[in-house]
Amino acid sequence: MWEVTRKGLLAHKFRLLLTSISIVLGVGFVAGTFVFTDTIGSVFDHLFTQTTSGTDAVVRAKLPFKVSSAGSNSQADRAPVPDSLVPVVRSTDGVADAQGSVSGYALVIGKDGKAIQGQAPTLGVSWGSIPRFAKSFNVEQGARPTRPDEVGLDQTTADKAKVRVGDTVHVDFLTVAPQDFKVSAVFKFGDAGNLAGATLAAFEPTTAQRVLNKVGVWDEVDAAAKSGVSQAGLRDNLRAQLQRTGLTDRYETITQKALAKETANTIKQGLSFFNTFLLIFALVALFVGAFIIYNTFSIIVAQRARELGLLKAVGASGRQVTWSVAVEALATGVFSSIVGLAFGIFVASGLQGLLKSFGVDLPSGGIVLKPRTVIVAIILGIVVTLVSALSPARRAARVPPVAAIQDHAVTPTSGCRRYVIGGIVTGVGVVLLFLGLFANVKSSDFPGGAGGLVGVAAFLVFVGVAMLSPVIAGPAALALGWPSAHIRGVTGELARENAARNTRRTASTAAALMIGLALITFVSTFGASAKKSFADAIDRTNRADFQLAGKHFGGFAPPAAQTARQALPGGTVVEFREGAWQYNGAGKQLVGSTADLGQVVDIKLRSGADLNGFATTGVLVYKDAAKSNKLKVGQTLPMRFSATGVKQIPIRGIYDDNKGLGVNFTSYILSLRDYEANYTTQLDLGTAVRKPSAMSASAARAALDKAMTAFPNVDVQDNAQAKDAQLSQFNTIINLMGALLLLAIIIALIGIVNTLALSIYERTREIGLLRAVGMTRRQMKRMVRSEAVIIAVFGTLLGVVIGLLFGRAIVASLHNDGIVFAVPVGQIVGFVILAALAGLFAGTFPARRAANLDILKAISTD
Amino acid sequence: MPGADTKVASHAVDITKVYGKGDTAVRALDGLSIEVPSGRFIAIMGPSGSGKSTLLHCLAGLDRVTSGQIFLEEQEISAISEKDLTLVRREKMGFIFQAYNLIPMLDAEENILLPLKLAGKEPDRDWFDRVVDTVGLRDRLRHRPDELSGGQQQRVAVARALVTRPAVIFADEPTGNLDTKASAELLGFISDAVEEFGQTVVMVTHDPLGASRSERVVFLVDGKIVDEMPKPTPDKILDRMKELGD
Ligand SMILES: Nc1ncnc2c1ncn2[C@@H]1O[C@H](COP(=O)(O)OP(=O)(O)O)[C@@H](O)[C@H]1O
Ligand SMILES: [Mg+2]
Repeated sequence: MWEVTRKGLLAHKFRLLLTSISIVLGVGFVAGTFVFTDTIGSVFDHLFTQTTSGTDAVVRAKLPFKVSSAGSNSQADRAPVPDSLVPVVRSTDGVADAQGSVSGYALVIGKDGKAIQGQAPTLGVSWGSIPRFAKSFNVEQGARPTRPDEVGLDQTTADKAKVRVGDTVHVDFLTVAPQDFKVSAVFKFGDAGNLAGATLAAFEPTTAQRVLNKVGVWDEVDAAAKSGVSQAGLRDNLRAQLQRTGLTDRYETITQKALAKETANTIKQGLSFFNTFLLIFALVALFVGAFIIYNTFSIIVAQRARELGLLKAVGASGRQVTWSVAVEALATGVFSSIVGLAFGIFVASGLQGLLKSFGVDLPSGGIVLKPRTVIVAIILGIVVTLVSALSPARRAARVPPVAAIQDHAVTPTSGCRRYVIGGIVTGVGVVLLFLGLFANVKSSDFPGGAGGLVGVAAFLVFVGVAMLSPVIAGPAALALGWPSAHIRGVTGELARENAARNTRRTASTAAALMIGLALITFVSTFGASAKKSFADAIDRTNRADFQLAGKHFGGFAPPAAQTARQALPGGTVVEFREGAWQYNGAGKQLVGSTADLGQVVDIKLRSGADLNGFATTGVLVYKDAAKSNKLKVGQTLPMRFSATGVKQIPIRGIYDDNKGLGVNFTSYILSLRDYEANYTTQLDLGTAVRKPSAMSASAARAALDKAMTAFPNVDVQDNAQAKDAQLSQFNTIINLMGALLLLAIIIALIGIVNTLALSIYERTREIGLLRAVGMTRRQMKRMVRSEAVIIAVFGTLLGVVIGLLFGRAIVASLHNDGIVFAVPVGQIVGFVILAALAGLFAGTFPARRAANLDILKAISTD
Repeated sequence: MPGADTKVASHAVDITKVYGKGDTAVRALDGLSIEVPSGRFIAIMGPSGSGKSTLLHCLAGLDRVTSGQIFLEEQEISAISEKDLTLVRREKMGFIFQAYNLIPMLDAEENILLPLKLAGKEPDRDWFDRVVDTVGLRDRLRHRPDELSGGQQQRVAVARALVTRPAVIFADEPTGNLDTKASAELLGFISDAVEEFGQTVVMVTHDPLGASRSERVVFLVDGKIVDEMPKPTPDKILDRMKELGD
């Protein structure tokens, strides 16, 4: 028995290879994701150990609450510590040395007037005189800045700004006026050119305090231990010292190791989200691969009916026959998992190169391959292959011995039971989908919460529809083949008949494609709906004429808004900042803004609001938040800020429309005065401008443009530009998802190649006959390609329909968020056309095989 | 030898066909020449492995000879491209194989008309009707191959071969899979076609009764023509076959 299986495997190396590709790609994606995120994680570990090297413990202000990371744009706002804490730390037992350090926003402007800025933060930091604390500044050129007009730059930033030691650069800050500095040093950060893509401008400590708006205070005090004192020992001593001086309730101490870990963990949290995000797409790819495996093995079993029948006739049991198929699946699984793992490692190293080209210079450090990655990749690959081959293998056991002697032996089918099960699976999927979308499922009810449930539901719907789809595959193939039959004559006719004759095969080949297309259609439909709703909200609520926006969607310093105000006397300029706060123990988001925000965005403030009061202090509350928390105008709201603790803020008004306040749809608007008093960082995330009514739009634009030349990182946008900029964010996300789903579609196309190649092998005799009676090679190629197109279009249409239904359902569930349904008709038509072309392409290779078949071999009867 | 006024439908001049190389080389055809006059029914007989199928395939342009020339009417087909050969086959030759002659998803009529459709030609309805009536398939035209008996399937193949009015029909043991009665019927249709339509037919067969319907039997041994028998009868054929030691 094993001998037969082994020989069979070796005889079909090519088939094994083609089948493997689908799993190789899926497993590769999974492994690549793990390797990539692990590698980045270790890089950050390394990086943060480096940033704090030389320090053994840190004393800093306590954080009154943990800022929820989800959806927050705010930096963790820890209160500063006073200068006076430094001598307290320095005089502690076991402390060899101590220094205060600060960091904050500093934007370097290059020689050509361009801001040096990427996706990462632009940082200004202090560079103290004590060498042991400055180890991470790896000076390449020049010396530490010691004067108020000197700055040190990291290598990458210096290169981008095209400056060297001795040159002058312009630096922008949040609160103080921009200033020219002489470059005194160019340094590497540890062994990397920069700090994970961030730009670094290092100043002498007192200068750093001044330009970063931290006169007299520090972010933290760094302490170095005397030799013989451990980090933990130092921490304990510092704690005791704080206790003694009565400062424990305000300050805390943390060892350097713990700090590095804490910082790296914040990054890793972000990474783990990214990891999950990528894994979802990897699993989709594997799922599609599973269809290909199922299909291939079904065809193999059908083709081997004669051989399997013979095995049974000579006494093999059904079980042995099943095993012989299962072993082939196992071999395929093992082979593809190992190749997939290697492929994943290869892809991950490629991604790292990609990051570098985006300006993120990661310190050297090899690829991280954890045992977990190997285990998950191998097991996943093998299990998916085995499970997919299970049903074909069991079918093999039911091949009757007479199959050996009959020419047209019917392979056993599961008949209508399949459709009953398919119907049930689809039904359960749909019910779960609706539960997930509308029933407010929490993560305590189901792993992954509503998202997880919807994922499982989608999986079930796909499997169910795939089981049901043979019912419509026949008629659909005939209908879709109609054009080809009429344009291409008899070859088209034959292609159509071929697609229609084995409905199951056509259906499951198409189903693989359906999944990718359904998800892409869903993403683009949902994206189009969100985009339309967002655009509608802007149209409805916007009253501004211009927007000031930071490049790269980063924030910018408040002086820009101030300058705009001076440039347009009689106009309105409204700042928007974002922040996190806490109420009743729950983390919340807010927007800080001014009392005249109604001039630029229509929030439908209810009557009775006190905007005069709001100008000095107060909060405006969205109607739903007001209702659920029973808040009324005139009450005070106990708002807890991370830098300043709980503040009683008077409620000045209730508003009815929050859709114009950016994608976060914030429910709380804090007076800018309160914002300034309670947040350490003052960063404008957007500023809206309304021109004086007497001024023409073009004159206002010219005045603004002129005023903003001093702020190279700020863009002036009119309404159309602002809308485009906002909406382009959606496009970026949709395109990213589309790109990730492309892999699933490529795998499905490989499935079409595989199915057709196997079908052609099966139809060898028929093809020989067609050629003998006069079908030219060209006609043969056309016939096979047409069949591929019919299958591809069928899968695409199924996918588009399901994707639209998914999109419709999810939009309905978000009805309360004001999302309306929109269908990207052009895009969907594009998908169908592309799918047809892709089918044509997928058919090319099997078509060539068919055309090149040796006629004689094909028709010889023995 | 045919007279000067008789047209030649197919002829081969000194052809050899060698399969494989070196020690394992098999000389399936060994310097063989044959001429098939137009409008005649020729049978090819010989022991198994004597090269009958190979000869037929080479004459029909399904296979290439190792040396020598093959002509169809005036055209040399041993030297033309694969593509032109396909077109020649489509226009000028008909085929009947031992089995699996039909495309399973096409019905009888569609199978019969397939070569014409592939050529993009409109079928001549009168001719089609005559052919169909000749092979007695009138009431089976809408049936698919798996709904037809073996004999009916072969009759569809005969009709398909006839419908293009080819210069020659090549048949390789067309009755090999049929019972005696169906065999006799099929051979009847084939000889009717020769008589009624002047169709040229070259048929390989094992069956002396079948071969006796032809005008001339060619005997093949080891890739060479060893004998020819005009106006054969079953008894004469049987005797000769015994001599040849089949
Ligand atoms: N494709 C092939 N490869 C190698 N040898 C072949 C091939 N086809 C036929 N032969 C050999 O050529 C000889 C003639 O075969 P064939 O024409 O099929 O004989 P027949 O039809 O008279 O039984 C035989 O010895 C056979 O083994
Ligand atoms: Mg033969």
